[in-house]
Amino acid sequence: MKRFSISPPVAALILAVVLFLLSGLLPNGYGGDIDVAIAQATNITRLAVFLGVIAAGQTLVIISGYEGIDLSSGSVVTLTAILTYVIVNGNDNKVLLALLVSLLVGMFIGWLNGIGITYLKISPFVMTLGMAGVVTGTIIVINHGNVSGKISPIMTQIIARPLVGKIPGAIIIWVFFGLLMWLLLERTTFGKNLFAIGVNRVTAKLSGINVNLTNIATYSLAGALAGFGGFLLVGNTGVVLINLGQPFLFPSIAAVAVGGTLLSGGKGSYWGTMAGAIVLTLITSLLTTMQMPESVRRMVLGATLLILISIYGRQRGFRQ
Amino acid sequence: MDISLSANNIVKHYGGVVALSDGNLDVNSGEVVALIGANGSGKSTMSKVINGVVVLDRGQLLLDGSPVLFSSPQAAKDLGIATVFQELSLIPQMTVADNIWLTREPTNKLLLVNQKEVKQKTEELLALFEGTYKSDLRPDLPVAALPSDEKQIIEILKAICFDPRLIILDEATASLDSRQVQRLFQLIKRWKEQGKAIVFVSHRMEEIFQIADRYSVLRNGKTVGAGDIDDVDEKQLIKLMIKKESVFEFIHSYIKEEEKEFEAPICLDVNELRTELLEDVSFKVREGELLGIGGLQGQGQRELLRALFGDIPYSGEVIFNGNCIHFSHPRQAMKNGFALVPGERAREGLLYIRSILENLLLPSWRRYGLPLKINQSKRDAKKVTDSLNLVMAGVQEPVSSLSGGNAQKVVIGKWLMREPKVLLLDDPTKGVDVGTKGEFYTLLNKLCDEGKTILFYSSDDDELIGLCDRVLVFHDGKIRTELKGDVLTKENLVAASLGVTNGNNGEGAR
Amino acid sequence: MKKISWSILTARFPALFPLILLIIIIIINAGLQPNLFSQEILNQNMRVFLPLILLAVGQTFVMLGGGIDISVGGIVSIINTILATQVGLDGSPEKMWLFVFVSIIAGLLAGAVNGFFVAFLRLQPIITTYATGFLFGGLALFILPNPGGGIPREISEFYRNTTPLGIPLAFYVIAIILIIWWYLSSSKYGRNLFAVGGNAEAAYQTAVPVTWVLFSTYVISGLLAAFAGIAITMLSGSGNAEIGPPMTLTAITAVVIGGVALSGGVGGVAGPVMGAITLGLINNIVSFASINTWWETLVKATIIVIALATPGLINLFRRRRI
Repeated sequence: MKRFSISPPVAALILAVVLFLLSGLLPNGYGGDIDVAIAQATNITRLAVFLGVIAAGQTLVIISGYEGIDLSSGSVVTLTAILTYVIVNGNDNKVLLALLVSLLVGMFIGWLNGIGITYLKISPFVMTLGMAGVVTGTIIVINHGNVSGKISPIMTQIIARPLVGKIPGAIIIWVFFGLLMWLLLERTTFGKNLFAIGVNRVTAKLSGINVNLTNIATYSLAGALAGFGGFLLVGNTGVVLINLGQPFLFPSIAAVAVGGTLLSGGKGSYWGTMAGAIVLTLITSLLTTMQMPESVRRMVLGATLLILISIYGRQRGFRQ
Repeated sequence: MDISLSANNIVKHYGGVVALSDGNLDVNSGEVVALIGANGSGKSTMSKVINGVVVLDRGQLLLDGSPVLFSSPQAAKDLGIATVFQELSLIPQMTVADNIWLTREPTNKLLLVNQKEVKQKTEELLALFEGTYKSDLRPDLPVAALPSDEKQIIEILKAICFDPRLIILDEATASLDSRQVQRLFQLIKRWKEQGKAIVFVSHRMEEIFQIADRYSVLRNGKTVGAGDIDDVDEKQLIKLMIKKESVFEFIHSYIKEEEKEFEAPICLDVNELRTELLEDVSFKVREGELLGIGGLQGQGQRELLRALFGDIPYSGEVIFNGNCIHFSHPRQAMKNGFALVPGERAREGLLYIRSILENLLLPSWRRYGLPLKINQSKRDAKKVTDSLNLVMAGVQEPVSSLSGGNAQKVVIGKWLMREPKVLLLDDPTKGVDVGTKGEFYTLLNKLCDEGKTILFYSSDDDELIGLCDRVLVFHDGKIRTELKGDVLTKENLVAASLGVTNGNNGEGAR
Repeated sequence: MKKISWSILTARFPALFPLILLIIIIIINAGLQPNLFSQEILNQNMRVFLPLILLAVGQTFVMLGGGIDISVGGIVSIINTILATQVGLDGSPEKMWLFVFVSIIAGLLAGAVNGFFVAFLRLQPIITTYATGFLFGGLALFILPNPGGGIPREISEFYRNTTPLGIPLAFYVIAIILIIWWYLSSSKYGRNLFAVGGNAEAAYQTAVPVTWVLFSTYVISGLLAAFAGIAITMLSGSGNAEIGPPMTLTAITAVVIGGVALSGGVGGVAGPVMGAITLGLINNIVSFASINTWWETLVKATIIVIALATPGLINLFRRRRI
């Protein structure tokens, strides 16, 4: 039924290009102006960086299979953004500390997810959704005095502003990040083990893989990556909101799906997620350009994911 | 009750794989037709086409002379066709009675299930196999609590509870012990008298010759022969099934010419090993020995291998090359040179959607550094696939593209890459074609000659007798008997499997 | 010996654990609020709990079949926004009942959409209902972008204060639910449902109409979500598109502590009903314990996580002891 000869990440990129060309035709679009087009493309990609990084952890847990998903990443992003904001407080020399704290806090929350999922056998959806509530509750506790803080100049410099020529630092960070993710997934034992437990945990165990450990490590890593996402995000926006991370949650799952990672696990890549992030950012920005309200954005996103899984996610029918 | 079913020129594809290219079958009232074929021959597909589980691509089904097309298993059921499946179709959490009567429950006026009637009718059905149960089989027991032979009986009762006209028994005797099989055959004779038609799918020659009236042989998706069972013998049927000579002759040639005096050191010394299923299992194995493990299915053989491999917990003592060991995870077993080829390769031995390379390297990536030296791994994998004669398009292809025999080679290759010292084999030739089986036996003997120790569990008695010098026969979680040398005969093996000890004490090997 | 009897008990009576839990929570709550069983307080509590109870029951059907429905929150929001915008504070009772009818249809349709994707297209329930939930939420937001609207005061009053024979309305609803459940579970449909949840493949081979059974569970969930939406609208009297989604997790938690396995095939409706009431009472306890408002969200969220963890923890201890 579905015989795609092109790999999903490539298909996603093609889709992105098509959407971008379409956007040029809109009233607020770039028309035929190449310079404006490049500027807009760069901007879209730059915006996609944050979704892409936040979706990295999601990619990992989805690959790990058995309905792996991380619904806590949205609130983790907000939490680490706040922590970064407060710790840095305008000082360049506190940036590294803030980064470290973001990674560790994210990792801790991910680790809690992993424990609940692995040892208490709570379904990943339910566990991470529950944790999201706990993290949000924590944010309120921290936040009630209205946090004061500030990001530092170096963060803005590296993340928000152009770093090399006209290319924003964020994009360069993302490319390195993508390379690291590729290395992790395809050139480490952990990556091979991750795919294995996503396909078949019995085989994995009988081949010597410590399934529990790998599972917990995956969620911990996913949490850390979400923490990194929060760090980057606040570096870009400069302000913190209680709902900073939440709007990225649903799109992060959609991005992974667009990128061709099987939602059932065991197959996928981060390149696909990157392409997916660009596609989704394009869709959102198109909607904004068309001045569609938030409600339409949600409906479109929901429908997009539905269409995607209808194409990619059909499981074997009972009758063959 | 008259019935006739004809399947003519059935064609069936699963994706790109052709399961049937020309399947034919004729069965009439009052007769038993044996549907025979090696694994991968299309046997299972054929029975699934007849009972409506699978839709045929081309060909014709005639029921009582008129063409039919089953739109669903329910449609076939409504026309009186019942199937006893190979993979059990029982709901574990539901009771015996509920499982038997599922979708056929007697209801009262309020459309509620009539519990009393259900219980009573279930008891009547259970009585058909009375005397062959090991324990007290009641209608209200959850199916999950039953051993596999009783589950199979429930499966049979489920199929006949609505008085079908045609019964398909798809490897239905696989889990049954001999008493139960004989009782089933008595029932089959009764059904024949009632005018029912029976399709008996099996690879157990003895049973086929005992119960069948006619036969139909499938090979590689084509029906290559059919006729009266009285007109053929075992050798002829096997010849029809496979293109090569019988594998039994092959095995028999492996009866060792010299009695190898085993002076090799003791590799494994197991003392009073106990698990949920196993009770005080004790035995010794020498280096380079091919120790057979036999007995009916589910007597603890699998548990023994799993326990030794660290997959399930156990109590007791295991001494390996003089050192006391107790693995709590397969990883530890691997590190000590153990390997396990599991019983169900699709569920336990392979990552189906990943590449052959990844499957072969699965336990061994740590040896390839960080970042992984992929080219080196490809070279090492190629060495193993060459030595195993693995037929494949390329090492990056998914394992799902391989045939059963080749896929099993991948499972074995995975371990051979690590040069294990002890191989634990759980029914490794199940579902493997005859040609590959031969290659496999050669490989096993070669490994033993190299000094590797092999524990080999097989559900195929002939295989055990032909390959092994010594066989430990399991029954009810204990080693009932050790058979070796002259005493290792089929009769003794079968007897021991049923718990009979004819002189040989049940102490196990020393 | 003790551990064997516990596991047999829970297998035979899946509602045992939630019952014990409920009793404990009632005692604690009664300690903090002595007039808990007075008609007034009882009614105040039960009318707040009812929407959650309805959601939990709907979710039970889906979970028994081996699935899950994350979109119920979105459906509740849609119903709430439809009623609040179409009826309005000054609407007539006739208008109200008309749109109640519309809401029921909307719930059935939403359930049918879910059922179509999960049962007919064989998509994974979690991700599918997550997507439809998002879609439904967006639709609710579209209908009512900002909190507002409402329903006639009389109807709100009716819901909040009706106590036929001195017993809160909610108990009558629960009684009806239990009767319907008793009937369904003793019928062929019930057998089919448990079969599908226990082992869908085996059920299919036994000619159980698996697809239709699964489809029906989602339609039922949609229907009950619609009722929950109606109830909560009558409770609050106003409209808010974001009212639904937080209820989803609580409903699932209620079902989990109600003894219904997430994998399906085991359990009943009584447990989740008790689970929903338990969670509601826990909410009360948290409020009564006069915890700093800032900490309330965190405490409630932690309790949910603990509640979700409890069946797993119990299993863990049982396994360790073996």
